[in-house]
Amino acid sequence: MNLRSKATTEKAKTASFADVCSVRVGPSLFGLPIRHILEIVGSVLPQAVPLAPPFVGGLVHYRGDVLTTVSMRFLLSLPPLHAPQAILVLESPGGAFGLLVDSVVEVLTLAESDLEPNPATLGDACKHLFTGAYKLKSNLLVMLDPEGLDPLRLSTAQAA
Amino acid sequence: MQIDDLTREFLIESQEGLDRMEHCLTELEVRPGDAALLAEIFRAVHTIKGTTGFLGFKRLEKLAHAGENLLGLLRDGKLDASPRIVTALLQLLDGLRAILKTIETEGTEGDGVDLSLIASIEAMQSPVQQLDGALPPRAIKSAPRKRSARKSAVPKSFPLAPKPVSSPHADPPIAVAPPAPASVRPPEQAAESATLSSPPAPSAASESTLRVDVALLNRLMNLVGELVLTRNQILQATSGDAGMTILSRRLDMVTADLRESVMKARMQPVSNIFSKMPRLVRDLSQALQRQVRLEMEGQDTDLDKSLLEAIKDPLTHAVRNALDHGIEPPAQREAAGKNSEGVLRLRAVQEGSHVLIEVSDDGAGIAVDRVREKAIERGLLSAERAALLGERELLQLIFLPGFSTAPQITRVSGRGVGMDVVRTNVEKIGGKVEIDSRIGKGTTLRMRIPLTLAIIPALIVHSRSRSFALPQGALSELLHVSAEEDTPAIEWIDDAPLYRLRGKLLPLVFLDRLLAPASHPASDTGHEVFIAVLDADGRRYGLVVDGLGDPEEIVVKPLSSALKDIGLYSGATVLGSGELALILDPGAIAQRAGIRMAADDEATLNTGTEKSDVASSEEFLLVEIAGRRAAVPLGDVMRIEQLPARRIEYAASRPVLNFAGQLLPVEDSAGLIEEALSRQEARIIVVVCRDGHRQVGIVVSHVLDVAAGRELFEAGKSEPAESVILLKEQVTGILGLGGVPPLPSDTSSWSSTPAVMQ
Repeated sequence: MNLRSKATTEKAKTASFADVCSVRVGPSLFGLPIRHILEIVGSVLPQAVPLAPPFVGGLVHYRGDVLTTVSMRFLLSLPPLHAPQAILVLESPGGAFGLLVDSVVEVLTLAESDLEPNPATLGDACKHLFTGAYKLKSNLLVMLDPEGLDPLRLSTAQAA
Repeated sequence: MQIDDLTREFLIESQEGLDRMEHCLTELEVRPGDAALLAEIFRAVHTIKGTTGFLGFKRLEKLAHAGENLLGLLRDGKLDASPRIVTALLQLLDGLRAILKTIETEGTEGDGVDLSLIASIEAMQSPVQQLDGALPPRAIKSAPRKRSARKSAVPKSFPLAPKPVSSPHADPPIAVAPPAPASVRPPEQAAESATLSSPPAPSAASESTLRVDVALLNRLMNLVGELVLTRNQILQATSGDAGMTILSRRLDMVTADLRESVMKARMQPVSNIFSKMPRLVRDLSQALQRQVRLEMEGQDTDLDKSLLEAIKDPLTHAVRNALDHGIEPPAQREAAGKNSEGVLRLRAVQEGSHVLIEVSDDGAGIAVDRVREKAIERGLLSAERAALLGERELLQLIFLPGFSTAPQITRVSGRGVGMDVVRTNVEKIGGKVEIDSRIGKGTTLRMRIPLTLAIIPALIVHSRSRSFALPQGALSELLHVSAEEDTPAIEWIDDAPLYRLRGKLLPLVFLDRLLAPASHPASDTGHEVFIAVLDADGRRYGLVVDGLGDPEEIVVKPLSSALKDIGLYSGATVLGSGELALILDPGAIAQRAGIRMAADDEATLNTGTEKSDVASSEEFLLVEIAGRRAAVPLGDVMRIEQLPARRIEYAASRPVLNFAGQLLPVEDSAGLIEEALSRQEARIIVVVCRDGHRQVGIVVSHVLDVAAGRELFEAGKSEPAESVILLKEQVTGILGLGGVPPLPSDTSSWSSTPAVMQ
């Protein structure tokens, strides 16, 4: 990928940096570029919607609107967490939606040179959700693709 | 297509001008010589012509120019506005509109040529030349030339302020025209014009109003909704603190005011759609050769903009129907002893949180027998069922899809889609339609439209400890089914739950099972439930829920498309407690559960389960009087009152009730009033009944139920017994209302109860 070639040729000299919001879902860390995030809402208990597609984590009240949330736990095949969770409000062509995560950790400034693309061995289900991973000192920070998480995208993917 | 701001401004302005012109044209037919009307029409066309020259719309300019010539003659009194000329001007209007539309969608005025239209407009000018020899052709031609010279001056000042410039450049007589109607017209004409249009408005209105994007209003509405919720939470959080309570009260009031104002900002008067009707009526009555006078009332009634849009089609359909099927041809009307001119009346009036829109005509009315025949013929109804329906019920059948009683299909209507569309469209926005008709007298179609879509009244219901909002519009009654009842209230035919509601089987839908099909605990009807009886899109069914909450005015929030696809919810809302609730869509639920249209549904039910003599069954109000069951024919019951026993007064030792200024005799053979007076609560229940022309009250212990009775035959007689009836498999006596003695006429025998004497 373009990013990688840039990283190897130009090294850290003119390396660009990205602000990434890191979140925890189950045992792993995930990241989202903060420019896609409208707002972070902590400790909400979404209201379940009967008969909704399984990836829908429920509804939350957000700024006078009713926001549909996407359950990161469902997408990662983790058991649901019956406790208040945090929500990242993301903009999408079909309107804003919420991404339901266990907790928000911190905002990191990371050198784009540390970003590696998805490994070829990654399963099909996750391929559309991840854009790559940052190599942190102790672990990996898997970057999420806001477009792939859009409920509209997910429901068409589910129907197909 | 890209349109620059100036063009867009021009389009909006021209369209408004043309709307006014249309209005004035239809009025011009009534008052052909009205100078103010002509001036208004002239101005609309002139403004368009002036601006098109500047914007470079040649086709539009040519057409407007032709129109202006004709209008100039009319205005100067050289020509009279005959119906032919008005027709030509209306054609001109349509032509101008069509070009404007093309500009709006494509950005250019299109390649069409309007030669024939221009020719026909020019042809209208000729009669004058032949009749009026003093007016040489040149004189006519010179007028437009003068005007086009003036037009060239317009562009110079245009870029700065396009709007105000157009009127100063109009001819002097026009500039003084606006104030004229008020001063010149006789009072009754002025009043008439006030209901139909307000000519002086345009210039004044543009100064005190401004255009606002609907999206901005929607955003404001959303923010206000959020403010309302925050306020609710603040009110709860500060209830302990005296100082804060005053502040939060104030916040409460301001929020309520703000909400109302923002809602008002979305409102538009119904005249916005009513004003399209004179033209429609004119064109249709010409096409159908009817003589029709249109009367409109309540045009300043306000309605939410989106709702106004939504009722445009139903209203048009209704007007078409009224003209085509309702009002008869003049000859036929005269034969029937009516005025040859029919009256079509549009009326809008606000009734609480609804706006009632009525379309009534004084035409032939709907022949109920024909409705019945047609319904049976088209298989919409079985003959047995049809025999049972009352006139009003039969009339509502015309709303079923594919129904038309018109003997032949005309260009205007009769294909049997109109009324179906009317109902569908009106119900989609939470409204209701009904029709009333009297043969020979006319037909009235009533549409009840909620004031706004953004906030609707709803009942909160609970299912599996979750809250849902049920729109009140579809709700017809609520039933409580307690767990302890001896006979199971909910009966089953295989998998289908049913409830006996006043002798008829009502299909039920269990909300919990509908929403969680997987966890299907077989018939656990052990606990108490509530049944909400719903009427949706002509389907009638009972929705079974675990509990009822409060009725609330809810702010409707749209759902994301991923959730819209589920199809059972029409939106979501945030309740006063901060909890989210999904708004149930009664129509969609009925469809999902396979509930069929009421008419054919009931037909099969009746033939299937009630083979017995249904036709003779009448409904009765079942009451208990001091431990004894008794029945009152439901048709005679006017209302049931619960009131303090002290309200009963005595006249000539007969108990009477002074109710709303009217005195009615009260029947109390069981001495319930005395008994109630001796007890603490001292309240009694009085069933007010109609007995011929008078009203009587009957004191009862309890009101038990409403049930269909079956007639009983005394052994050896063929006539049914008059005083007893079989109700719920028990022989029950019918209360004889005639037995209640009338009010004493001899005043001297009245006791000295002052309240009765006065």
